[in-house]
Amino acid sequence: MDIISQLQEQLNEMSMLAVNTFGTLQRDAPPDRLSTSYPDPLNPNPNPKPEEDAKPQVQGQPGAPPAQAPGAPPQAQAQPPAPPQPPALDLAEQPKAMSHALVLAAKKFDALVAALPLSSEEDQLKRIKELQAENEVVGLELQKQLEAAELELKQVEVLFNEATDNCINLRKPD
Amino acid sequence: MAASAYPPPPQYYRLYKDYEQDPSSAPEPPPPPPIDAKYTTFNVQRKINELLPSLESHNVRQLYPDGPNIDFKKELRTLNRELQLHILELADILVERPSQYARRVEDISMIFSNLHHLLNSLRPHQARATLIHMLESQIQRRKQAIEDIKQRREEAQKLLGESLLILDGSQTN
Repeated sequence: MDIISQLQEQLNEMSMLAVNTFGTLQRDAPPDRLSTSYPDPLNPNPNPKPEEDAKPQVQGQPGAPPAQAPGAPPQAQAQPPAPPQPPALDLAEQPKAMSHALVLAAKKFDALVAALPLSSEEDQLKRIKELQAENEVVGLELQKQLEAAELELKQVEVLFNEATDNCINLRKPD
Repeated sequence: MAASAYPPPPQYYRLYKDYEQDPSSAPEPPPPPPIDAKYTTFNVQRKINELLPSLESHNVRQLYPDGPNIDFKKELRTLNRELQLHILELADILVERPSQYARRVEDISMIFSNLHHLLNSLRPHQARATLIHMLESQIQRRKQAIEDIKQRREEAQKLLGESLLILDGSQTN
């Protein structure tokens, strides 16, 4: 595929990654605790320890952590082991993986931009004129050679016909 | 008798009025005139020489500086950085003030429009580069053909010379 189409495909890829990142974060976000008078949806087992008051602030940002997600690992550690482990890991690992993919896509775009063989329009037009002139000259030469070769071909055909006629005439009848 | 639905054939036969008497009097048939009208495809009218419409015609602000010579690589890289920054800002806004996402999303889509417009305006350059490549390969093919013809002619001359020698040899014998 030519490089401009590759660049366009890369742009589409980046937009798809961005949309998927925010979409999955929104879809997989666990419910938030509205106030201390309601039970914690992440931790339905009642826990009379005072550390619970510190937990809602940490768990209040599960919807869209920043792209580098530095707050996600302490959040996973603050949760008790009672909720199943795989969703917690997904919440921590998925934004990291997706943001990693986004940054890789951006780097690939930069690499493709660097590989663009750009030159100015005047240079291109000048080169086209030079090539057209050279094409004319080479075309005339080719035509000359062709005509000479066709002439020689006709001469050889005439000679060949004479030679075969002589062969037939000189052969003694058996 | 229904009228014909098709246009009449071109009237080039008039050029060959005196061809029987003088074959060289018939001029070359004139080339067809260049078409400059509009054509309709899928119920949409388009011009023949269609240029890339500017961003203003799509109500999109142009972010890169316009001029006679745009440094495409620099602008593309700058817009890429802007895009990453805006995605990060969108993530922050969603955490802090989720109701104000619309402005950021609009900014991101504007950056994408600008990027695509830049890439589309590189296409004429690509077309010229393709033309250069085609001319180079055509010149290469023609030179190769010239070499082949020269070589064959030399071979033919050599064979004729050899056959002449053989004939002369057999004649003196």
